[in-house]
Formats: sequence, C-alpha cells, structure tokens
Amino acid sequence: MFKNFFSDFKKKRNLAKLKDEKFRFLFEKDSSGEYVVFDTETTGLDVKKDEILSIGAVKIKDNKILTSQTFEIYLKNSAEISSKSIEIHHIRPCDLENAIDAKEGIERFLHFIGSRTLIGYYLEFDVAMVNKYIKKSLGIELPNEMIEVSEIYFDKMMPLIPQGNIDLRFDTILKKCGVPDMGAHNAVNDAIMTAMIYLKLTQESNNVKTSI
Amino acid sequence: MSILDQKQLIASIHPFGQLSSRELDALMKKIDIAYYTKDTLLISKDIESIAFYIVIKGTVHEYIDEQLHNVYSHGDSFDADALIYGKTESKFVVDEDLICYEIKKEDFLDLMQNKEIQSYFLQDFISRHKHLKEFDAQSDFTPFLMARVSEIFLHKACIVDADISIYEALKEQKKLQAKVIIVQKDNSHTIVTDTDLREKVLLERLSVDEKISQIANNEIITIQSNDFLFNALLIMTHKGIKRLIVTEDDKIVGVLEQLDLLSFFANHSHLVAVQIQKASSIEELQFVSEDIKNLIVTLRAKGVKARYITKLVSALNEKIYKKVFEMCVPKELQDKCSLLVMGSEGRAEQTIKTDQDNALIISDDVDEALFVAPMEQLNSYLLELGFPKCKGNVMVSNPFWRKTLHDFKLQIKEWLSSLDEKELQNLSIFLDAKSVAGEESYLTTLRNYLYENFSHRDDVLAHLAKAVLYFETPLSLFSGFVLEKEHNNKLDLKKGGLFAIVHGVRVLALQYKVDETNTIERIKELNNRGIIDKNFAEELIESFDTIASIRLLALLEAKDLDEENYINPQKLSKNQRDLLKDSFKVVNKFKKFISFHFHLNMVV
Repeated sequence: MFKNFFSDFKKKRNLAKLKDEKFRFLFEKDSSGEYVVFDTETTGLDVKKDEILSIGAVKIKDNKILTSQTFEIYLKNSAEISSKSIEIHHIRPCDLENAIDAKEGIERFLHFIGSRTLIGYYLEFDVAMVNKYIKKSLGIELPNEMIEVSEIYFDKMMPLIPQGNIDLRFDTILKKCGVPDMGAHNAVNDAIMTAMIYLKLTQESNNVKTSI
Repeated sequence: MSILDQKQLIASIHPFGQLSSRELDALMKKIDIAYYTKDTLLISKDIESIAFYIVIKGTVHEYIDEQLHNVYSHGDSFDADALIYGKTESKFVVDEDLICYEIKKEDFLDLMQNKEIQSYFLQDFISRHKHLKEFDAQSDFTPFLMARVSEIFLHKACIVDADISIYEALKEQKKLQAKVIIVQKDNSHTIVTDTDLREKVLLERLSVDEKISQIANNEIITIQSNDFLFNALLIMTHKGIKRLIVTEDDKIVGVLEQLDLLSFFANHSHLVAVQIQKASSIEELQFVSEDIKNLIVTLRAKGVKARYITKLVSALNEKIYKKVFEMCVPKELQDKCSLLVMGSEGRAEQTIKTDQDNALIISDDVDEALFVAPMEQLNSYLLELGFPKCKGNVMVSNPFWRKTLHDFKLQIKEWLSSLDEKELQNLSIFLDAKSVAGEESYLTTLRNYLYENFSHRDDVLAHLAKAVLYFETPLSLFSGFVLEKEHNNKLDLKKGGLFAIVHGVRVLALQYKVDETNTIERIKELNNRGIIDKNFAEELIESFDTIASIRLLALLEAKDLDEENYINPQKLSKNQRDLLKDSFKVVNKFKKFISFHFHLNMVV
C-alpha cells in the first residue's frame, strides 16, 4: 500500500516535469496487455559519458514474443566509436550508416513502448541510458513499470541454492533456462533471448524447479 | 546449439531456403516466437490449427488414434496439411517445453503463393521424397572434386637402370604392362615414351642394343600421391602432358595416365572392369577388389543412387567370380556346371563384400567328385579377395550347396514339405540365386521346377512370408525412431526395414513366378502384373532405396562388421532423417499388405 502510494507520488512528480504534452501517453494506464523487452548497445558502461548506439526491443503478449513487430534502431553518435567498445558490441562505424538522430530515435522508441511494462536484464542500466536522453529533451524519466529478469531468476533459484551464490551472468541464465543461444549479440537478439527467459520463468512457474 | 540468426534459421529449413531474400524479409515480419509448456494441446480434431509451427527448442508429439505417429524437434515444422485442408485427424501435444516460431494461418497460406513452397507442401509422398533427395545430392557433390591421387588406379612404374639396353627395357615394360619407361640414373629420373621410341629409335634407325639412357632426355614431372586429382588434371592441362609420375615420400609409386584420370571423372567403374578382365593372378584381382571400395565411396559422393551403386558393384563382383571360376575349374568341366551367387549378391544388392553365399549345380552326367577340389579352391580364393566366409556355411565347399541337378530337385521337394525355420531360410537364400559362371540353363530348369511345385501351395508361401513380421519397424518414441540401447542408441536398418521389403517381395516373386532376383526389378514386375499398384510400387522402391543408401553410408563408416547395419539417426542430416522416417512408414504399410495378402493372421 505504502509502496503503491510512493510510486504514484513519484509518478506524479515526474509527470509535473513533462515539457512536451505529446508524450503524456507514457503516463496513461496501459490497456494493451503487452510487455516490452528491450536492450541497448552503448559505447561504454559510464552512463554519464557514454552514448547509446542501438536499441532493440520486442513485445510480449501472453505466451508469445511478437517478433513480427521487432523494434531496432541505430543512433548517430557525437564521437568516434572506440575500437575497444567495438570488440564488445560489434557495431562498427560503417554499421551506423543508416543511423538516425538520437532525438528522433528515442522518440520512436517511446512511441513503441507506450506505457507498457518494461522487461530487461540489468534493466536499470538501459533505463538510465534512455533517461539521460529524455531528461534533457522532455524533462522526465521513464515512468513505466519495470521487471528485472535476473531478479525473477534469483528468486526462483534461491530455494535450490541456499548458500546464495547464484550465478547471474546472462549466458548462465540462458543455459539454465534452456533458451537457445541466438548467436549474434545485438540489441534485438538479446531482447528476444531475454524475452524467452522471461516466458520460461513466468509461464512455467510451478514446475520450473524440475527443469532448471 | 547455436542458431546464427533468426533469418538464417528459417532459411535453413526446407523449403523456406527457396525464398528470395526479399520474400524472406517479408516473412520475418510475420513470425512470432511462442512458448508452450509441457502437455499443451496445440492442434486436434476440435482445436483448429491457427498457425504453422517451426520448432526452435523442445519436442512435440503427433498422435493418430492415440498412437504416437511422429515426433517433432529442433528444425522440424508442422502441420501444413492441417492448415491447407482446415482439418486434421492428428493430435499435436507438447512433450517437452516448446519454444517455436509461429506463422499465422493467413500468412502461411499467403506464402503458398510462392510456387516452390506450394509444390513442396502439396506434393504427395513420392515427389516430396525425390525433392528432398535431389536437395541432398547437391551437398554431396563436393567430395568428388576432393578425391586424391592415391584413390585412383595407377599404372605400375617401369623403372629401369640407365645402363641396360633399349631392348631389355622394352621387355621389362611389356612384362609390367607399363605405358612408359622411367630411366634411373643415380637419383635422377628421365622418361621414355612411345613417341621417343618412334622418333629416336625407329626413325633414326637406332639399334635396340644401344643403352636406354641415350634416348631418355625428358625430365619427369611428378605429383604427390596425397595431392588432389583435380590438381593433377590442372598440371596436365597446363603443361600439355599426358601423364604424371606419382611419388610418395620421394619414392615413385606409379604412373597416372591422363586417360585414366579423365575416365575417373567420367566413369570410374569402366576402369575397374577392365582391370578385372586383365588380371592374370589372384594377387592382381586382390588389388582390383581393393579399388572397388574406393569406387563406392566416389560414386556415393557423386550422389549416385544406392541402387545403381549396388548394381554396379554386384556386376563387378560377378566379373571377379567369373574370373576366379575360370582359374579354378578345368576348361572341360566349365559348361558341366553352373556357379550361383545367392542372397544379397544374387539380388545384386550387395555393397561392400558381404558373406560368400554361393552354390554349384552340377550336370547329372558327370562325376560330382571332380568338383570337390576346384570348389574348395574357389572358396579360399574368394576369401583371399576379401569375401568373408559365410557363417551359415552357404558355400560351394559345403556338399549341401554343391549338388547335381537331380539332387537339387529332391531338395526342392523337401523344402515344400518342411516347415522348419532353417529349411525355410535356405529356401529364401536359394530364391535369390543367380548364375554367374558356367552353364546358365541349369538354374532356369531348377527355377521352373520350383514354380511348378509351389503353385497353389499358399500354405507354404504363408509360412515363408511370416518372417516379414519378425522384426519391429523401429518407428515411434524417441524422435520418431526406436533405438537399441545395447547398440549405443542406434537403429538396425536391415532388421528394421530392408529385411521386410526384401523378404516380402521375394515371396511374392515366388508366388507369381517372377524371374528377377533384384528387389527393385521384382517390385516393378509385380507392378506390371497388377499385384501392387503403381503408387505403392513407387513408394516401396523409393523407401527401399532410401534405407539402402543410408545403410551404405553406415557400411562405409562401420569399424567392425557387427555394427555395419546400425546407424545413429542423430548423426543424419535433417533431410535424411525425414526421408528415413517416411520410409519406415512405408515399410509398415507393406507389412500390413503382406499380412493381408497371405492371411498371416490365420497362420500359427
């Protein structure tokens, strides 16, 4: 109760800062029944300095991952991409030829997610990255509800591994959940894999112990 | 598991690979991924199919009348028929948590606008089978180009000392049947060709008593025996020469002739046949029979159908038999008897040398004893050539299989009255007899005698046919196949499939007096006589061919003889697995047909 009250309060304060009325929909009650799983590729892990290179997202409805409505954009960046980060995200400068302006890209992303609940793996970071952009342009932070898959996984594994040394690396969760590795780690593929993990963990809530 | 990319995965599933890149992109926009937990009922009579499913992970069981009919796992898809016809008799149930792609019904039907896709899903069994096979053959083509020099027939190298006379060198060359003379001086080699002899000896009126080194001044051009044949061809073309000297560890091991190389690429088998004809000793035949195995490997890599390979190999083995027969049996006795091969050799379905199954019919007017020694010799020669002894002792060295015409007739009478398993088995072996050397008419006489005696003896035929049902077809449960634990989860192709077809067809052939011994020829003839309808005959032939060709692969890879009939279905490609599953279904259909035809449910 108090938690709800607190989040409502936070939401209202957030809304009060909204500079552009066009984005009021982010605060409306979601009626689609869908979730959005998203992942970003960035130039680095420092929210303050680094920038978003690409965003990949898919919607989940019931037991389906709507890959038919996959969202994928590449964003223009202010600086050269360092060769070290290329090793991680495999986005080369030439891959950004179809990139669009950050402002436009982020707005398109906001339209894609609407007020749906967001799902991700270490979502906090991805959300912080997006917030960095919209704070500047819209004055707000993402108001959406959030679900962290590594948290669900942790809760599920807890009773099985009492010592609590639960390996929360993405690859480990992937393997433990029996989700196929889609190979290339780009934003969209990661989002799809995360979505599969989410479905695996939630759809099968009762007999997950036997299969993990 | 590693799926590279969603698009790539879809494209790897036949027939979606036929789609253009643009069509594939459009398709990707219509595909969702769905997750279903164990025991979810996806499609049934009452639940209309709403999508086409492609399995990413997990398994789905298809039941017809509560009987497990098929199992779908990674890369499999279902069920086009349910979507196209809007109904199904099957029930699809998730057996292991399923992650799959879903193409919505309307989108799937849209996809059918593509001619390739449409024909794939609408085709009947036979053409779908052929379609898949052709697809399979393409991927098999490369190994043929990768054949190595050591795999081809090499002429003996006639290497002579530089100091001997031309005359001596020519004599040596003739003895070795070599095409060229290689002249050795210290550690360097030069070559003397027919052209050299013509131009430097004949035209120059040079005495043949001169030293060979006088006319040898062309350097040899060599190739390593482990080099690719393709490279040999390139060198020959590039340098405009007709032969290469083949070396192994810097030693000359033979001569590669352009003619042989070209015919290797064109028709390798022709060469082997010539070699058998030319052989003058058992050792030479031995050399040739070694070559036959290489031939099989190459032909399979070329994508030649199993039935043609086995026919060809049988034809070559027949030639070997004939040659050995001529070596063992005195000339005056050769037309007083008929040498038979039986079992798989008789059916011309033998691949690599299987057991010796042979017999001899002797004319009634000569002394049997005259054949004892020659036949024992024949068996031991064949053994030397790598034809293993028959475990059941079905060989001409055994008096049971070496009889006069008269005694064989008595034997047939006995078979007719005996219901003993062992005797029935002997009869089965004899039914596939084929004459390979000597006087053929003896066999014809016996065969007609057999037909006379068996006509209207449906009771005996039924007992003979019963064996068709001895072994279970290994289809059901795990990924569709039943595997044998004691054989490392492999399945037996011979017991599981081939035997039923071969034996059933054999009994039908006896009943309807079909002279052919080859299973496929028998099926065709039975079809001509209206016993089996055309569609079923084609299904049978395709299935037989599929199982036989997968078995051929197993034979080539088998390390010991006991494992030769076993394959691990997980090691087969997706296409091959599908083909095999379909083939086993046909085997089951055939078993039902035989049961019905011979009223086997009434036979104890």
